[in-house]
Amino acid sequence: MGVTVLQQFHVPENKTGTYVIELLTKRILALGATQQGQFLVDCESYLSHPQMGTTKTVHILHNSEQPASVFSILESGTKNIHVIADGLFDLLMMKLSQHYTSKKQTKIESKGPRFELGDFCVKLGSVTMNQNFKGVLIEVEYRPCVMANAVWGLLREFLQGLLGPSVPVQPPQHLLSRMNEIYTPIDTIYQYLEHFSAYRKGLRSA
Amino acid sequence: MSAVNAAPITATDSLSQALKANIIPNQEYLLQGSVLDSAVEVLLHRLRGLCDNVDAGPETFDDQEVCFSLRDPNQQAAPLMLRVRKALDARDMPYQLRYIGQPDLGDKNRPTVVRSSLDIACSGMLIEFLNELGCRIEFEYSVKGYMFRKGRMKITVAKVFKIPQSSMPPEPISQSYLVELSVLAPQGQDAIGEDMRAFADQLRPLVQLDKIDYKRLGHMAVT
Amino acid sequence: MANSVNISIEAPIENQIQEITYDGQEIYQAPLSMSENLARLAQKIDFSKTDDEFCNIKKEGESSSESKSEDDKDPGYQSSLWPWDSVRNKLRNALTEVCVLADVLNIAKEKRYMVLDPVQPEPVESRQMVQVYGRKKALAAAAAVLLAGVERLRASETMRMTRNMPDFHIDLLRLRQNWRLKKVSNTIIGDLSYRTAGSKFNQTGVFEVTKAPEEQIAQAMSLNTSGPAPSALRVTVPPELQGVAFISVLCQKEQEDVVTATLSSSAINCPGTLPGDGAELHWQQKLEAAQNVLFCKELFARLAAEAVQLDASIPHMVVGNQIMATVLPGIQLLIGLCHNNGQNNSNTNVDGVKPEGTAGKSDHDHVLEHSLHQLLRAVHHSNTHHPFPHPATGPLGPSKRRCLAGPMAADRYELLDMSKEQSLLEQIIQQAQHFFMRRRSEYVLDTIAKEVKDPLIVSHWNALNSPTQSCVKINIMAHGYDAVCRTSLVVHVGEKTLKCICRDGKVRHLSYELQELRDLIYCQIYQHQMTAVQAVGRCMGWQLLASSSHLGSGPVEPLGNASSCLLASPNGDRMIAIRCEPSVGIQVFIAQSPRKDFFSSELVQDKKWENLGGAFKEIKLDKMEGKNFLNKMELLMACLSSPS
Repeated sequence: MGVTVLQQFHVPENKTGTYVIELLTKRILALGATQQGQFLVDCESYLSHPQMGTTKTVHILHNSEQPASVFSILESGTKNIHVIADGLFDLLMMKLSQHYTSKKQTKIESKGPRFELGDFCVKLGSVTMNQNFKGVLIEVEYRPCVMANAVWGLLREFLQGLLGPSVPVQPPQHLLSRMNEIYTPIDTIYQYLEHFSAYRKGLRSA
Repeated sequence: MSAVNAAPITATDSLSQALKANIIPNQEYLLQGSVLDSAVEVLLHRLRGLCDNVDAGPETFDDQEVCFSLRDPNQQAAPLMLRVRKALDARDMPYQLRYIGQPDLGDKNRPTVVRSSLDIACSGMLIEFLNELGCRIEFEYSVKGYMFRKGRMKITVAKVFKIPQSSMPPEPISQSYLVELSVLAPQGQDAIGEDMRAFADQLRPLVQLDKIDYKRLGHMAVT
Repeated sequence: MANSVNISIEAPIENQIQEITYDGQEIYQAPLSMSENLARLAQKIDFSKTDDEFCNIKKEGESSSESKSEDDKDPGYQSSLWPWDSVRNKLRNALTEVCVLADVLNIAKEKRYMVLDPVQPEPVESRQMVQVYGRKKALAAAAAVLLAGVERLRASETMRMTRNMPDFHIDLLRLRQNWRLKKVSNTIIGDLSYRTAGSKFNQTGVFEVTKAPEEQIAQAMSLNTSGPAPSALRVTVPPELQGVAFISVLCQKEQEDVVTATLSSSAINCPGTLPGDGAELHWQQKLEAAQNVLFCKELFARLAAEAVQLDASIPHMVVGNQIMATVLPGIQLLIGLCHNNGQNNSNTNVDGVKPEGTAGKSDHDHVLEHSLHQLLRAVHHSNTHHPFPHPATGPLGPSKRRCLAGPMAADRYELLDMSKEQSLLEQIIQQAQHFFMRRRSEYVLDTIAKEVKDPLIVSHWNALNSPTQSCVKINIMAHGYDAVCRTSLVVHVGEKTLKCICRDGKVRHLSYELQELRDLIYCQIYQHQMTAVQAVGRCMGWQLLASSSHLGSGPVEPLGNASSCLLASPNGDRMIAIRCEPSVGIQVFIAQSPRKDFFSSELVQDKKWENLGGAFKEIKLDKMEGKNFLNKMELLMACLSSPS
């Protein structure tokens, strides 16, 4: 497990998501990468029952990279609390259906091909919410390093090479506070949640 | 290569597949009993004779459990109980979050109590998570004792302690040990109940393992 | 489930036991035919029993009518069918009685001829003496039976004692202490399989315990009077478990013709029968041998199954009792099951003679055989020893790593790794590979140490190693100069590769081709000489002017590059140049300034140019005095530093 950066790729006007994915696939294959299967990250959110006081949201995320785990992030006010559990946590959410109801229409996922290039692992995900295309998310992981601070420059350069000059200078919001800490899989999940929430709020359009 | 490059199925899909195939062990078959402190040595000896691989001595455990309840928002159903267990003697093991359904005692012919059960290993700030989720702590205790296994059956002989307020040594709740015989299995494997009953008979008269009806026990305490 | 208790369900004995004789033999009755059975049941009806219940009477009536109808059907057989005759008689009597009773009742009911008066019941006359006599007689009969039994037992016991025969029951008790036994009807059978220890092999290991015939015991006792007393027990193991078996493991160089390889190696030297003849073997040894046969069979069956399943680049072959696997190119591992069940003695003897000549060079590898046994035992152990969950409410079964995988967010590679299980065959091949790698490395190091006298090469093998990894530390130094310079490197010997960690911290991975190791060591030796001579120079006060470990000049080296260094004497008037080429060896040149052969020419006229130093002249090292190269260099430096 190395450091992962998740980056949105702006889909140009009158171009489809598949076109963008194909374009990027060509680019990365030209760099000498090999495709290593597909990946999938999905997120389902549950809202608390109105009679339980302030509204709280439980986000349940799965990442095909960690197939035995369920990531759940509880969002209440300003705090985010996460729990990583094994697969049966999904069954528990069914038991809690009285208290937390799923917002089916906001079920969102990012999936696509997965490439390996030396120490890098690149995933080109097209984001769909309710079967509607929302955008493209690029995940780049540099596996030998576990400290974001040490590798952000390298990752940024790699991303610039792949995506062009649109890559921001600042690392993603979630990573900023954790630049000097050991990177764990939940940090990837938080980055996905950030992007998914933005897509849901409709801040970004495809 | 094509198999490797196939799209991964979503977690919910694989879970519903597993549910359909009925391979998730979500039923607990349970028999309970208790034995006085003075007689526990004899019982342990008997278990060492009956169970598998006790050549290295019985496995000990020391757990702490916190029980949470989540009230039904419509005030109709009974509150949902969630238990969190942590092994004090194996700190590297994760928290165990446990949901236990209403015990089904069935009629006289059913050999054991059957209750639905979900055991979820969790890491992270589980207690805080449950608090924020809306759960309230009902009670907590620690439990310390021995574990045995016989095939799929798990036998625990353990003493329940109150959680001490200060650095005092923990205070036992009673002068006896709780004995539990349990099996986790997928739905419909009722044959295991008979095996358990047969095993429980082997422990008589040292300990009487039976279907315990907590509702009735609570009732008796009131009247 | 490996741990469940085996329960055998047997049909009850069909035939009824008619009699059990004192020696426990049971005499059975022949089974009844259908009609006989009906007759027997009909006979059982007790017509004299008076019962008020109407239904009972009705039942009797029914059965009687039934039997009657049967009687009517085949009256011709009446004479021969005695049971039916009695039934008929009884029924006839009953009918007569009922008729009489009806008449009496009719008379009593009319009350004209007869009146019924209640009568006081007469007290039963208790004749006590008769009862006492009766009981006495019965007790005496019972006592006689018991006494007769005691007498029998005592007689047999004294007989045993006088003839000094062993006690069957004591032996049985001893057997029971070590083996699993149970009694099935009147035989004692035992189980010698490893099921309870975690084996999942489907062949059973049932044996039967019987009492040895007395003549045999007597014979055995007369034969060896000095040895331990023969047992009164005799165990009978199934023929497929009789005899001796072992797993033979051979490593051999591949032969051109695979067929001849199989032929010569299939005749692995089987051992004869166990010491002593089968009959008089003690049951403990006999059972242990049978258990060993079963174990070897399980091991071989498992290995054969794995050999077929595994898809290796060079496929493993299973031919008869033999598995062939390629360990390293040109080297084969042969695993064979040798089972001599003592029945075809002559056959095995013929086989046993042959391999002495043909397959003499490939010896049975006891270490690998032991490893195989160990591996299967480990499988058995892991079949029964599952980890307990912590906390205690967790599910039984998953390993600790699997428990942690979910909450610790293990990625899919880790999970795949967890589900992977190495087969026994793979493990034993790895061990064999390592064995060869180790032996070859040893050989290479030893031959280099023999070939190269200067510097000395010392290798230290770690005494503690795993079956698939070991480690050797190599020190290169010159005698007398080990304090000045020593080069050490560590070689990790793995399964198919070597990992060398050199003095400069560089790690080199080498393949199984040991020429690579040889080349590496040679390079290290020359590198050592260069650094050592510089160290000696430093001690002598000489100055290092230049050094290069990879010279670009001169002919191309087959391995590595030539290296050189240039040293200047303390007052700077002499120079030594050393050039070292692994293929040629070490060359030493000296030069001095002012040069002695300076003659002013037209181009260089000034005298001062003589200080530039002259041409280098090679020194004949082998003509020099000194124990080794460094010694010679020291002498040379000393000689050149002295003002002359």
